[in-house]
Amino acid sequence: MAEKPYGLIATFDTPGALMHAAEQVRDAGYMKWDCITPFPVHGLDKAMGVRRSKVPRISLAGGITGFCTGMSMIWFMDRFDYPITVGGKPLFSPLFAFPVSYELTILFTAFATIGGMFFLNGLPMHYHPVLNYEDIRRGTDDLFFLVIEKADARYDAANTRALLEKVGGKLVNELES
Amino acid sequence: MTKPDSSKALGIGIAGIAVTALGLLVSKPHVIATAWLVGIGFWTAIAIGMLMMILIHHIFDAGWSTVLRRQYEHGIAAFPWLLLLFLPLVAASYLGSHDLIWPWMNPDHQIVGGHQVKDDILYVKKHAFLNLPLFTIVTFVFFGLWIWISARLRKASFTQDGDGDVRWTRMSGKTAGFGIPIVALTLTGAAIYWFKSLEYHWFSTMYGVWFFANCMRGALSCGVLIMLWLYNRGDFKGILKTDHLWAIGQLMLTFTVFWAYVSFSQYFLIWNANVPEETFWYNIREFGDWWYVSLFLVFGNFLLPFLLLLSYRFKVTHRTIRRIAYLVLFVIFVDLCYNILPALQDKDGNPQPFLSINLLWAVTSVIGVGGVAIAAYLRSFPTTKLIPIRDPRIAECLNHNE
Repeated sequence: MAEKPYGLIATFDTPGALMHAAEQVRDAGYMKWDCITPFPVHGLDKAMGVRRSKVPRISLAGGITGFCTGMSMIWFMDRFDYPITVGGKPLFSPLFAFPVSYELTILFTAFATIGGMFFLNGLPMHYHPVLNYEDIRRGTDDLFFLVIEKADARYDAANTRALLEKVGGKLVNELES
Repeated sequence: MTKPDSSKALGIGIAGIAVTALGLLVSKPHVIATAWLVGIGFWTAIAIGMLMMILIHHIFDAGWSTVLRRQYEHGIAAFPWLLLLFLPLVAASYLGSHDLIWPWMNPDHQIVGGHQVKDDILYVKKHAFLNLPLFTIVTFVFFGLWIWISARLRKASFTQDGDGDVRWTRMSGKTAGFGIPIVALTLTGAAIYWFKSLEYHWFSTMYGVWFFANCMRGALSCGVLIMLWLYNRGDFKGILKTDHLWAIGQLMLTFTVFWAYVSFSQYFLIWNANVPEETFWYNIREFGDWWYVSLFLVFGNFLLPFLLLLSYRFKVTHRTIRRIAYLVLFVIFVDLCYNILPALQDKDGNPQPFLSINLLWAVTSVIGVGGVAIAAYLRSFPTTKLIPIRDPRIAECLNHNE
């Protein structure tokens, strides 16, 4: 038994068993927990009660920022900073500022998407307590795991262990932090 | 699967055609024929888009769209009927002074400034391309190719329901290989001959791509409406999944952006170059209420569908995506009106207003051609299984998951 446990880890043999366990853990009201599977299990996010990613909102904010950056940059440069009349066109028109604004929209959207994904996932993450678990390598092969963190408000060493055993978890072990 | 009633659609179509024909008592034949071009153009665009969607499905060996593809295979049954409904325009071009619709078909046609078409250097340079025999030939060849490729795809898919032979899937893959370039070139040619040549002075390298964008948007919107219709009838219960709507919604978003990209580029290049042979096309489209139509296209055809389709929830909620699909079909209609109807000009060379009796005939034409096209779809619908049950990708489609 570790001095400062990270949480409890339970093992499952099949995706179906994990799916049903996840539904019950979700219904028990746990928030800080996760499933580890060797491959994507369709419907598991729903069984876990995971909502859709918030990354698109960050992407949208990035896109709007990029568009406004392009428009205001060209407006400032062409209208005030270095005004030149080209081809009898007005000093500023959204038309010729559009291609650049459009490119910046894409660029800033891409940056916001990547950055938002890293931020929401807590990346880069160089250490995770689960990696200390001896059987974890089989989580990339033929075993399924469910981890409930101690940081969860509902966590209670005895009750949580009882829940994991009740939902069919084998080898419920404590994880070192 | 109960058999849908196609006679109602056919009745509505014939009524629309009859009302459009009665319009000859009110408006000039020139007006009715040009409005008819809007109607035939609208539904031909959707049929071409459906054909393209099937070909693209096969070239990528796609999985998720297998169920949707079957409905498109019924949709492209409309091509022979669309050819039939296009014939009056070809026939009318052989009557009288030949310039009922397309002014360049009559060398003596008066153009603004007191000149005649035959003295116009832009006509002389384009004469090898713009002549009535070639127009007739390519119109028949284009429809012939679309009908032929459609027949190949339909035969392969429908026969596979019976024998389950993977050979049919390979055959459709080959059809897609040569079909995509053929359909891409023919739809470009059709857009240039039928719509762009109404103002034959004009130049635009974007025109075919603009038409393609509308074809795809129309086909995708109709795909959404068909899938939801089948779901509400009960046929697609357990087949239509949230992720199918999500996938098709993403494509709708893609082609909304694509339409905007092409349309903006066309405008931007002409605005920037500022050459009179090109700018006149947009100038007449800023005259009178066409100015507001232009603005409607910017905001209604791009910005509003774009913002709505960004949302995941809007794409997968039946009520919302259905409304977005109707909106897109409506703006495609307005876009075609914007491209075709300003060819109807008054004595001073100014376009007749958008909100006029001409619009009514465009609407009745869309209803008329649409009734016939939908009847063709509904008549094809009960001839096969609801979904391609023995397609190699059918399980992948039924279990589609993001």
